[in-house]
Order: sequence, then structure tokens, then C-alpha cells
Amino acid sequence: MTHYIIRRFLLLVPTLFGITLLTFLLIRLSPTNAALIKGGGGEGGGKAMTAEQREQIVKFYGLDKPPLVAYGNWVGKAMRGDLGNSFADHRPVADKILERLPLTISITGSALILSYFLAIPLGVIAAIKRGQVVDRTISFVVFVLYSIPSFAAALLLILFVAGGDYLNLLPMYGINSINASEMSLFPWLWDRILHMILPVVCLTYASLASISRYARVSMLEALSQDFVRTARAKGLRERVVILRHALRNALIPLITIFALELPVLIGGAIIIESIFTLPGMGQLMFQSLDSWDEPVIMGITVLAAVVTLLSYLVADILYVIVDPRISYE
Amino acid sequence: MTNIVPPPPLLKVEHLKVYFPILGGVFRRPVGEVKAVDDVSFTVNRGQTVGLVGESGSGKTTIGRAIIRLTQPTAGVISYQDKAISKLDSAAFRPYRKKIQIIFQDPYNSLNPRFSIFEIIGEALEIHFPAMTRADRRERVAGLLDKVGLKRDHLDRYPHEFSGGQRQRVGIARALAVNPEFIVCDEPVSALDVSVQAQIVNLLQDLQEELGLTYLFIAHDLAVVEHISDYVLVMNQGKIVEAASAEAIYENPQHDYTRKLLSAVPKL
Amino acid sequence: MNSISLSQETYTQRLWRHFHADKFALNGLRIVILLFIVAALAPFLANSHALIRVADGHVSFPIFLSLEPIEWRFLLYVPLAGLVYFFRHRFIAHPGIFILAVIGFIAAVEIFLALTHPINDPTNDRDRPASFKLLPPIPYSPIESTPDQFSPPTWKHLCGTDSTGRDIAARMLHGARTSLSIGFVAQSIALTIGIALGGLAGYYRSWLDIGICRFIEVMDCFPPLLFILVAISLFESQNNMFYIMAVIGLTSWTGVARLVRGEFLRLSSLPFTLAAKAIGANDFRIIVRHLLPNALGPILVAGTFGVASAILIESSLSFLGFGMQAPTPSWGDILSDARRYIDFAWWLAFFPGLAILITIMSYNFVGEGLRDAVDPRLKMK
Repeated sequence: MTHYIIRRFLLLVPTLFGITLLTFLLIRLSPTNAALIKGGGGEGGGKAMTAEQREQIVKFYGLDKPPLVAYGNWVGKAMRGDLGNSFADHRPVADKILERLPLTISITGSALILSYFLAIPLGVIAAIKRGQVVDRTISFVVFVLYSIPSFAAALLLILFVAGGDYLNLLPMYGINSINASEMSLFPWLWDRILHMILPVVCLTYASLASISRYARVSMLEALSQDFVRTARAKGLRERVVILRHALRNALIPLITIFALELPVLIGGAIIIESIFTLPGMGQLMFQSLDSWDEPVIMGITVLAAVVTLLSYLVADILYVIVDPRISYE
Repeated sequence: MTNIVPPPPLLKVEHLKVYFPILGGVFRRPVGEVKAVDDVSFTVNRGQTVGLVGESGSGKTTIGRAIIRLTQPTAGVISYQDKAISKLDSAAFRPYRKKIQIIFQDPYNSLNPRFSIFEIIGEALEIHFPAMTRADRRERVAGLLDKVGLKRDHLDRYPHEFSGGQRQRVGIARALAVNPEFIVCDEPVSALDVSVQAQIVNLLQDLQEELGLTYLFIAHDLAVVEHISDYVLVMNQGKIVEAASAEAIYENPQHDYTRKLLSAVPKL
Repeated sequence: MNSISLSQETYTQRLWRHFHADKFALNGLRIVILLFIVAALAPFLANSHALIRVADGHVSFPIFLSLEPIEWRFLLYVPLAGLVYFFRHRFIAHPGIFILAVIGFIAAVEIFLALTHPINDPTNDRDRPASFKLLPPIPYSPIESTPDQFSPPTWKHLCGTDSTGRDIAARMLHGARTSLSIGFVAQSIALTIGIALGGLAGYYRSWLDIGICRFIEVMDCFPPLLFILVAISLFESQNNMFYIMAVIGLTSWTGVARLVRGEFLRLSSLPFTLAAKAIGANDFRIIVRHLLPNALGPILVAGTFGVASAILIESSLSFLGFGMQAPTPSWGDILSDARRYIDFAWWLAFFPGLAILITIMSYNFVGEGLRDAVDPRLKMK
């Protein structure tokens, strides 16, 4: 097992190189680049720059170097922990990412926790009442939720409850009211919570659906196991059988699924952050893609890749720990 | 009386070794090897049945697969009619695929569930006799079904409609399709009910008589082998521990391991 | 010929029987087919040209004259659907070849036509005087600006109009073509790549497997939006439908590849594969005739779910402004319009949202039904 983990760790290295190289080359492959967009020569419009000025910018950002050389430079610096400075505002990429992480994690994290809290009871109830009206209703509702595109839901929620011509219960945009800086702690916190409700709801309902389906299957599997039947045969009360014996085993596979959800926690949700104009990771990625801000794109890609690969690894390891029948040796 | 030179054996296995590497450590380098078959030599004469007996994991199936080239030998030579076939490349080995065939143990997984019985048995004809028309192939497959005790009606049926014994008959017909001389029977009855086992063994014996086949009959059960074999090889941990005629093995076992195997045979 | 007993049931027939018994799946399939028919007939359902027009004693059929060649493409599917229905029994007997042929046909038509640009005729004879005219149910073209701007749903405009007075119902009907064909073609591309790479990894194993698995990981961590932006900036073109199909396909094959790899690993060590090797079948024959048909069930399930997710990706892209370019109507495009007028124009968000919901849900029900039919053990009853 130890050997397996070490081997997987070593295999992360070529994969990371592959991801960063591919990303870098693709950015360089595009005829549009930061200089063109800044200079207004691209689709951006605005005041056009002279060829000389553009040349200077290209040189300044190292866009004239051959792609592989530039990639080599980037890798060299990244190994020393330096992700470079943003083309847009010349601030260090690491700073830009770090200041956005807390918001993204708080929103995606609350959505993830909330969806687990709702999904597990739903899945368990559906499994216990298997085939009955309750089960069918839950399954159907969950299925409908699963199929609603989150951006349409977000738009309709904003329209009907947040400041449209209809109800005006919740704030429409942003993460704080304009006067937030003048607020004391508790009003500030309340204000923040109000702003978080809609994005969290939108992110929750979709993952709620898939997790509750997993929970249901996993619970059904647990209920059909021998030890549950033995527990019943011993005359234990149904509640004890379900909560103490079946549920505990049904939760195990859900832990591994949790590991696979982690990348979203870091990467954020581009669409939801863009609709609610939340300054999170998704928005940063979107902005940097829009302006071909190479160092920022690379920085986010590396971070997202590391987290994704590690969570795959964690999920695989949890699998073995949880189910001794599986072995990777 | 003149001195008659005995005909060369049909199959000759000399110092056959099949080792499987054990991968370990961080880099999955070979850190050791499983000696599945460790220096095994024997011969099979034309028209004979040689039984190959051992517990599971003794290497008997690996020998069968090495002969039919489903596994690469590590060392040693397998010759067929004095021609070393284990060193041939796959194109040069192709003619031998018509001469050497195999019957598998598991009647449930050895037939492609998406193929009809005609397609399963006819595939070999399609490969080796590309000029044959579909009608000819159907005719030939129907003949084969008749030979193994199935009906012509079964041509367009699918494997899941058949019992284990019937499936094994299909497996036998598939092996017979190319008119082989030598068949590796890899535990052909181990997965079947005792009552069906006898039918299949009898069928194999009848076919041997009719078609002049030669068998390497692999089993983990001495009772089955004793019934069909002329000669028996007993394998343990990759080596042949005893080789003798079927009666000799049964009546006067020399090796402890053989005695152990015999004691496991239910006495009638 | 031989008598065939009634108890005989092939794998596909069993699959169909299970699928048929699942009401949700069956209705999902019906809705998907209905959507394709609606998409095929969109120019006849929503058009500013009359179906039949009688003026000055002349009978004319303006709608046919208004059709661009590209408008005919979905009409090709009507005879195709008829053929499939007519031959459905044979279809069930030889599913693999049939499914591949149908998918191939649709994909070929789509890719070919995606490369040509649709032009809509802005003139209309809705208001032209005539002694008799039969207008389509929705007498508006998808790109035609009417004087009614921001009309909420009324009898005149069933789903309302947008900021330039374009009829949303007409745009949605035509947008169905975009969504359905992108979903279909993108997923066909993903399936092709996934089956090829997953199959190679699972069949040949060793270093090829290691390499392909690393490549799958790379693609899984790769930001797909970057791919799309690069493709768009590389191939600046009026009609970018093909690139969107290609890019969605190129970035969503990893799931299929993992699945096929797993199936091939399992199947290639089963005795029937060994038996095929023993009778001298070459690798191509083993892969195409033995492994692929046996993996087809799970592949079909993944493909169905994949179409749903490709449609979702397309509408997300259009929503973010990276999708289909104006004036091609698309559901995501209407939604991104909704975003600008979020204060009041609920119909701009509601109707396309509902259309996406129904499409995705139908595909998912079909996928779910197929999965239960392929592997009854997983039945979620």
C-alpha cells in the first residue's frame, strides 16, 4: 500500500507536466494575446496602439520567446514557488489566488456541506421506503432538480426573489452591500449571509441530486447485507438496525465521493460566480481567460490540477481502506 | 523381426518453464517470479490421451495455454511433429491453430454471449477458410452440432438458452470446426454436474475414436483422468512429480502428493 | 429454414423488453424523438413565410422558396426515422451495426451542414395581402425583429419577445436544432475518441495503458473553457457550430475512455476472448467482434448521459457568450439575453430554461432506463 501511494505520487509529476505544458502551448497557440488585447488590436476595441508600443509589450511579457523556452522559464520559476505576476495588474499571481480562495471555499464549501446534510436523509428515506410513493416522489423530484440548468435557476431566482419586479427579499449581486465597510460585526455577518443564500442554493440543489442518488443506492446495498439481516433476526428494533448498522456502512462510499467533490471547492463555479458577480476563483479564471492573462491562467490550472489529482488519489486510497477486498498491490 | 523405429511423438514438451514476474516496489519492477511451470518435459503420442492432474495453481492450465500460445514460455521448447512451434512468430504459427485446439473449463464465459451458436462455431471457419460460403459454413456447423449431440435447430440460438453441459458441447464443436489433430482439454468437466461430466467425457472418447484425436486432458480430479487417460502426469507446484500409466498411478502411486490426490477421490 | 422457437431472446431483445417496461425511460425516449421531429420541422412551424398563399388567383408556397439548403437537413431525418421504425425488428436483431450506421449518418449530415452557414430571409409575407394564406403556427422567423419589444407571453407571441422584438417561441424552435445537433455530434466525437483510446488501453495494456491513463488525467484537469477560447480565436468564422461541437467532443471523452478501458480489461481476460485467440482471430477481429459488442450496453448508457451533458455545456457556453454566434438562435443565447434584462423579463429565462430542463431530463431518463436494462442488478426501483 505504501509503495502504491508513493508510486501514485510519482506519477503525478508527468501528469502535472502534461497539463501545464498543454495549457501553456494552447495559450501560445492562439493568435490573440495579452498585448493585442491591451493594445486594442484584438477584438477588444479601444484606442489602438502603435506597432512599436505593441512590440515593447510583447517583449516585456516575454511573448516573443519560443513557446518551449518560455514554458521552461515558467516551470523553473514555478518550482521555486514563484507563479509570476499577472499581466493585467502586475500583482503576484499567488496573491491574486489567495485573496479569492476564502470566498470560493466558503460558498462552495457551504453548498457541499448543505447538500450532504440534505441528501443523506433523503437517500436513506428513499431506500427504506423503497418502491413506495415516498421513494418515487423523492427520486422524481431529485431527478428534475438534477436536470435544471443552474444558470436558468439562478436567473429565475434573482428575478423572483431578489430585486426584480417581484419579491425583493435578497440582494441580487455581489458578496456585500456597498456600505458593508461601515457595518459592525454582526450586521456585516448577516449581510454576508444574505448575499450568500442564492449562490449557495444554486450550487446545492444540483449536487444534492447526485449525492442523494448515491446515498440511496449505497443504503439499499447496506440494507441487503447479511449483518443487517442478522441484526433484524436478533430482534433489534428497526430504528436501531437502520441507524446503527446499515447507515454506518452506507456512509462509507459517500466519503470517497466527497473526495471527488473537492476540486470544485477550489475551482469554484464560473457560471454562478459570474451571474452573482462574486469575486471568487471562477470569476478570476473567467477574467484571466478573457484577457489571456497567461500567468494567472497557468497558476489556477496548476492549483486546480494538483487538487484534482490529489483528490483522485485520496478517493482511491479511501476505497482500499473502506473495502478491504480491493487491493492495489 | 526388423527393428521398427517408433513414430515421433505428436507433441513434445522439453524443459518448459513459464515464469510470471512479481511486480513490486515503487516502480513496479519485477522483484521476483512465480514459477508457474518449472522445467517440465513430456511427450504425447498420436491417438493417445495424456492426463495432467494437479491442484489449482499447480501450473497445469499454464502448460495448456503455453502449448496453444496463449502464454509465452520463459524457456524450453514445445515441438509439434518434430517442429519447434514455441519459437514461431504468430504468422508462422497460424497453420498450427488449425491443428491444435482448446476446450475451456468455464462453459458460461467461454462462449461470446452476443454470438449465436452458428457464429461461435463458424468463426474459426470464417478465419481459416475465407472462401467458404455462408451456406457451406452453416452446413458444416450443423454437421458439427450433430457430432456433439446437439440439434440443427440450435444453430441460431444464443448461449444463455443452453445448460452448462450443452454449452460445453458447443465449446467442443468450436474446437472441432477446423479438424484439429490435437486438443488441449482444460478441465472441460470440472464446472459441470457429476451426471453431466460422464456424458461429456464419453462424448470426448467417442470423438477421439471417430476422428483419431489426441488429447491433453487437464483436470484436478484423478477419477476423471483415470477414466479417459492412457498416461497420467501428476503436477505439483510447477513440476511433474509422477508420470505413469493410468492403472499404475491408480493402483500403485509412488509419490506422496499423488496419494494425497487419490485419497480425495470419492470411493464408490 | 430452421424453426425458431419463441423462447429465443437475444441480449438486445431482453434489453429492449426491460427498457420498454420502464415508463419513465420510454416516455423520455418519446420526448427525445418528438424534440428531434420538432427540430426537423422548425422552419415549417415557425416562419414568417406562408405555407400556402393565394393572391391574384395564383397559388404559391412561399415557405419552400424561403428555405436555405441547410434548412433541409433535419428533413433528412424524417425518412431516416421512418426507415429505423420500419426495420425495427431487424434493428433489434443486429443492434451494433444498425446503431453505428444511424449515428454515423446523423453525424455525417450534421458535420457537413455545420460547415455551411445558415442565412435566414428577413422578408416576410405574414402581412402581405393575399386572398388566402396559411401561415405556420408561429408566423415569425427566428431572426426577425418585430415592433413588439419585450412583449410578455401573449396569444400573439406565445413565449414573449426579446429586446429587439424577436419572437422567443420561434427562436426556441430553431434553437432546438442547435442544441440537439451539438449534443449529438459532440457526444459522437467524444464516444469515438473514448472508445478508441479506452479500447487500446484496455486491450494492449502495459505501457500503452499507462500512457493513455496519464493522458486521461491530463484532460480531466484541463480547463475546457481555454480550449474553446483558443479554438474560437484560431478559427474566427461566422459559423462556429462545428468548432463548438468539436471542442465539446474533444474535452468530454475521458469518462467514456475510462469506462471502455475497464470493460476491455475485464472482457479480454474472459475465456471466450482466449478461445477467439486460440482459433487464430487477429486483434482487430477480437476487438470489433468480441469485445466491442459486449461493451456496447454500458457505452450506450454513457453516451446517452453524455448527450445530456453536452447540451448543457453548449448552453452554458452560449450563456457565457462563447457559444453560437448571432444570429444563430440557441437556448443558451436566449438565456444570456435574459441576464441583461433580469429585472422583469422572466419569460426570457423561463422558456429556454424549461426547454433545456425537458431535453436533459428526457435524455437522463433514457440513460437511466438503459442502465437498468443493461445491468438489472443496479435497478433503482
